[in-house]
Amino acid sequence: MLKLMKYEFRKTMFSKMILVAITGIFEIVYLIGVFAKKENLLAIGMMGLVFCAMIGIFCIGIESLSIFQKDLNTKQSYMLFLTPTNSYQVLGAKVIENGISIFLAGAFFAAVAAADITVGVLYIGGVKQFLDLLEQLMISIRVDINISAQDALIVFFAGLTSWLLTIVTADLAIVLSATVFAGKRFSGFVSFVLFILFDIVIGKLLDLLPSLDSTVMTYSMYICVAFVITVIMYLITGWIMERKLSV
Amino acid sequence: MLECREITKVYGRKTAVDHVSFEIRPGRIYAMLGPNGSGKTTLMKMAVGLVKPNSGGFYYKDQPVGQESRKEIAYMSTEPYFYPWMTAKDVGRYYADFFEDFSPERYESLLERMELTPDMKTKSLSSGMMAKLKIAVTMARSAKVYLLDEPLNGIDLLARDEIMASIIEAARPDVALVISSHLVDELERMVDTAIFIKNSHLAAVWDVESLRVQEGKSVADKYREIYGHGEGQSC
Repeated sequence: MLKLMKYEFRKTMFSKMILVAITGIFEIVYLIGVFAKKENLLAIGMMGLVFCAMIGIFCIGIESLSIFQKDLNTKQSYMLFLTPTNSYQVLGAKVIENGISIFLAGAFFAAVAAADITVGVLYIGGVKQFLDLLEQLMISIRVDINISAQDALIVFFAGLTSWLLTIVTADLAIVLSATVFAGKRFSGFVSFVLFILFDIVIGKLLDLLPSLDSTVMTYSMYICVAFVITVIMYLITGWIMERKLSV
Repeated sequence: MLECREITKVYGRKTAVDHVSFEIRPGRIYAMLGPNGSGKTTLMKMAVGLVKPNSGGFYYKDQPVGQESRKEIAYMSTEPYFYPWMTAKDVGRYYADFFEDFSPERYESLLERMELTPDMKTKSLSSGMMAKLKIAVTMARSAKVYLLDEPLNGIDLLARDEIMASIIEAARPDVALVISSHLVDELERMVDTAIFIKNSHLAAVWDVESLRVQEGKSVADKYREIYGHGEGQSC
C-alpha cells in the first residue's frame, strides 16, 4: 500500500508545489511587513497566509476526489486495477495519503505561524507589542480569536476526522456512480447528488449525538463516532469496488 | 491454467459476452479473433478483473482471478492508460514497483529495440509509439500468461516485425500467450490455437495444425467462413 500511496502523492505533487509557492509569496510579504514595520504589508501577508492555510487544505481534499473520479472513469484506472493490489488497498492508499497530506499541511501552516510569530515578537519589540499589534489588526478586520492550545488541538482532530468522513463519503458516491453509470458523461453530476444525500443523512446521524459536560468530551465523542462511520463507509466502498466495479 | 467458465457480461441492453467457456493452456500461443464488438476486449478485461462479469468467471489455477492472479498475468490494453505526467522511465519504475516479475534491464533493451528513449513523455507519444511502449513494458515482465489486446494496432509494417519478435521471445513451455488482432494473416504464422468469437459467443476453437490437416484450411479461410458475407474485418 505504501507504493500506492507514493504514487497518490506524486499525482498531487504539482498542486502542492503551487500551494507552497503561493504561501512563500505571502510569507515574503509578511516578513517585509515585519522588518520594515509596515502594517499594511504585515496584514496582507498574514491574511494571505491564513487564506492559503484554509483554502489550501480544502483544495487538497477536493483534488483527491477529483483524481479518484478520474481514476475510475478513464483508462488511467488500469494503472491501479492491473496491479496486484485489492480495492481496499487502492482506496485506503487514497484516503490515508489525503489524511496525511491534510495533517502535514496543517502542521506546515502551524509551523509557519509559529515561526512568523517568533519573528514578529523579535523584530517588533517584544511579545506584548506584537500581540497588541495583532489585536489591533484583528479588531480592524473584525476577527476575535480566543482559543486554548488544548481546544485548538481537539478542534484540529475533529476537523481532520470530519474531513476524512467527508472524503470517504464522497468516495462512496463516486464509486456508486462509476459502478452504475460507468463512462456516462453525467456520472460526475450523479456522484455530486449522491454525496449531498449521504452527507445530509450522516449529518442528521451526528446531530443525534448528545452534548456532554465538557467541550473536550463532546468533541472526543464526535471524533470516535465519525471515525466509526468513516470505517464503515470505507468497507462498503471497498466491497463495491472489489465485487461490482468495472473500469 | 486460465479457465473461462460460462462467463456472461451485459452492458445495459447489450450482451457483450454470452456464456463463453474455454481454457488457456501453458506452452501455447492463442489468437483471439473476431470483428469489432464481438467481445474479445471484454473477455480479456474480465480475465484480469478490470471488468466484472454478470455470471460465470475466469479462474487462474482454479482460483477466481484477482489480486493474486495479476502477479502472473500480464495484460496489454489496446487503449493508452499511463498517467500523463509519466515518462517512459517512470512507466518502467511504476511496473518495477508493483510487479516482482518485471525486469528493468529487459525493459531498457526493449525500449531501445522499439526506438524509444526513457525521457519520452507519454502524453506526447504518437499512437504507434504508445503501442510500442505498452508492448515494451508488458513484455518486460516474466509473466505466466500474456494477454495482448490488438498489439499491432497503429504500428507500421517494419515495427510490426520487431513487436512480433519481442512477443515470440516470451513463448516458453510454462507460458501462454493470447493475442487478439484483426490481422489474421500476421498471426497465422505464429499461433497454435485460434479462438473465434462471434456476436458475443464462442464460435469455435481450432488447433491451427488440426485445422490445416483435418479441414485443409488456414486460419484466414476459417475466419472468412465464420464471419463471411462482409461481416468480418480485413484479414
